[in-house]
Amino acid sequence: MNIIKKLLSKLVSAFGLLVTTIFVFLPIIWLSLTAFKKAKDAYSTSLFFKPTFQNYIDIFSEPNTFSQLLTNSVIVALLTILIAIPVATLAAYALSRFHYRVKNLLLIWLLSTQFIPPVVIVIPYFVLFRTLHLMDTRIALVLMNLSFVLPFATWMIKGFVDGLSITLEEAAFVEGCSFMQVITKITIPLAMPGIITTAIFTLIQSWNEYLFALILTRKDAITMTVGLNSLVTDRGVIWEQMSAAGIIIMIPIFIFSFLVRKHFTQGLTLGAVK
Amino acid sequence: MNSVIYRGPKKWIILAPALIILVAMTIYPIFNVLIVSFQDWNLLKSPEPSGLIGFDNYTRAFQDPDFWNSVGVTLIFTIMSVSLSIIIAIAIALQLYPKGIYRTILKACLIFPYAISPALKGYTWRFMLNPHYGIIDKILGTLIPSLQDVVLLGTKSGALFWLAYTEIWGWAPFIALVFIGALDMIHPDVFAAAKIDGVNKYQMLRFVKIPLILPVLLMVTLLKTIFSVKVFDQILTLTNGGPGQSTEAINFFIYKNGFKFFEMGYASAQSVLLILFMIVFAGVYIKTVMKGDSNA
Repeated sequence: MNIIKKLLSKLVSAFGLLVTTIFVFLPIIWLSLTAFKKAKDAYSTSLFFKPTFQNYIDIFSEPNTFSQLLTNSVIVALLTILIAIPVATLAAYALSRFHYRVKNLLLIWLLSTQFIPPVVIVIPYFVLFRTLHLMDTRIALVLMNLSFVLPFATWMIKGFVDGLSITLEEAAFVEGCSFMQVITKITIPLAMPGIITTAIFTLIQSWNEYLFALILTRKDAITMTVGLNSLVTDRGVIWEQMSAAGIIIMIPIFIFSFLVRKHFTQGLTLGAVK
Repeated sequence: MNSVIYRGPKKWIILAPALIILVAMTIYPIFNVLIVSFQDWNLLKSPEPSGLIGFDNYTRAFQDPDFWNSVGVTLIFTIMSVSLSIIIAIAIALQLYPKGIYRTILKACLIFPYAISPALKGYTWRFMLNPHYGIIDKILGTLIPSLQDVVLLGTKSGALFWLAYTEIWGWAPFIALVFIGALDMIHPDVFAAAKIDGVNKYQMLRFVKIPLILPVLLMVTLLKTIFSVKVFDQILTLTNGGPGQSTEAINFFIYKNGFKFFEMGYASAQSVLLILFMIVFAGVYIKTVMKGDSNA
C-alpha cells in the first residue's frame, strides 16, 4: 500500500514537472524550430523537416534590412550604457554616501519614474524631436531610453554601494586621497560586479525596448524589435523569417540574463524582493 | 545605512548629470503633458497648440465610450493576468522548490520567458494561435474537440484572454522564482515541525507556506499590477487592439489617439488621468520599498 502511494506521488510530481516544462518552453522551442524551417514547413505543425539556414540569409539580404536593424539595436544599447552607467554610478555614490536634506525626495523620484508609462513620456518628445529634426535618429532613442534606464541603474548601483563598508574610503581620505581618487580607485573597483550586473540589465532593457522606437523611427534608426513589424506584409506574416529574427533578438538576451540570473529577482523588482 | 557628511559643492557636482537628465526625461514630459492636456491641439492641423480649452479634453474623455472601453479592458486584463500569474507561479514554485538536478536546471531557465522582448512575445503567440497552422490551436483542437473550429484570437473575450495569457507566460515563471527565493529563506525545521504536527499537504500550503511568504506575495502582486496596467508592446504585436476594440488597453488607446489621430491634447489628458491612477499604486509600492531600504 505504502509503495503504491509513494509511486503515485512520484508520478504526480513527474507529471507536474512535465507540465511546467511544456508551459515554460513550448513557445521558445516552437519559435526556434520554425526559425530553421523552409516556408512550406513553417505553415504546418510538422516536427520532422530538413533544417535550413535560408531564413537567416533572407532577413539579412534585400529587401529586408536586418543588418541595419541589428547595427541600430547594438549602437543604441551600447550608447545607452555608455551614458547611463557612469552617470548612474556617480549619482549612486553620492546618494549612498552623502547627506542631502532632500535625499528621501530624490529616492522617491527615482523609484516613481519606473511607473511612468512610456507612452506619456514620448508625447512631448515626439513633438520636440520633430522640431529639432531628431526624428528617426539613434540619439533620440538613446535619450528616451535614459528616461527609465538611468533611474533604474542609479537605484541598483546605490544598492551595491550601500553594501560596501565605508571604512576603506575613510582610510583613503585620511591618507590624503582626493575625492575623485577615492571614487575611482576604491569604490568603483569594489562595486564593479554590481556595476557590471546593472550594465547587463540596462542592455537587456534597451535591447527589448519597443514603444519608443516604434513612434520615433521611420527608416534609418529602426531597431530589431520594431523591425519585426516589417515581416508583417500584405500577403500575411512571413513567420519563418519572423522566427529567425526572433532568435537573433532572443539569444543575446538569454546569454546576458543567464549571467545575471542570481540578481534577476532583486534587479527587476528594484530590490523590493531580495 | 552609513552616510558621511562631506561638505562643499562636490556632492552636488557628481549628482548633477543624473539630475539634469532626470529632469529632462521625467519631470519635463509630465509637466508638458499636463499643460497640453488643457489645450486644443491636433498635430495634423497645426504644429502648435491652438489655444486653451480648459477641461474640455477631460470631459471629452469621460464622455467617450472608447475611453471607458479601454479602462474596462485594462481592468479585466490586469485582474486576469495578475491573479493567474500568481496562482500559476505558486504552482510552479511548489513543483520546483524541492532539490534535484532536473529541478535546478528548470529553475535556471525560469527567467527566459520573462527576458524575451514583449513585442516578440506577442508575435510568437500570434503565430502559435493561428487557426490554420498554429501549434496551440492544433493542441487545443485535439484535446477539446469543441474548440476545433474556433479562431482563438477571433472572439473578443478570446483575444483578451490570450493577451493576458501571453503576459502570464512571461511573468508566472519569474514570479515563481521570487517565491522559491522566499521559500528558501525559511528554515527547513519549520516545515519539519509542521509535518510532525501532522499537517497534510493542503494545510502545509494554506497555513504554513503561504502565510510565511505573504509579504513577498503581496509585494509581487502590487508590482505585477503596476506592470499589467502598463501593458502595450504585445497588444500591438498580438492583436493590434482587435478584434474591434476588445484589446485596446489604456496605453494602446493613448498611443492610438496621439500617434494615429495626432490628437495631442486629448492623448495628453488621458495620460494625466493614467498617471493619477498609477500614483495610488506607486505610492504604496514606494512606501514599502523605502521602509525596507532604511532597515537595511
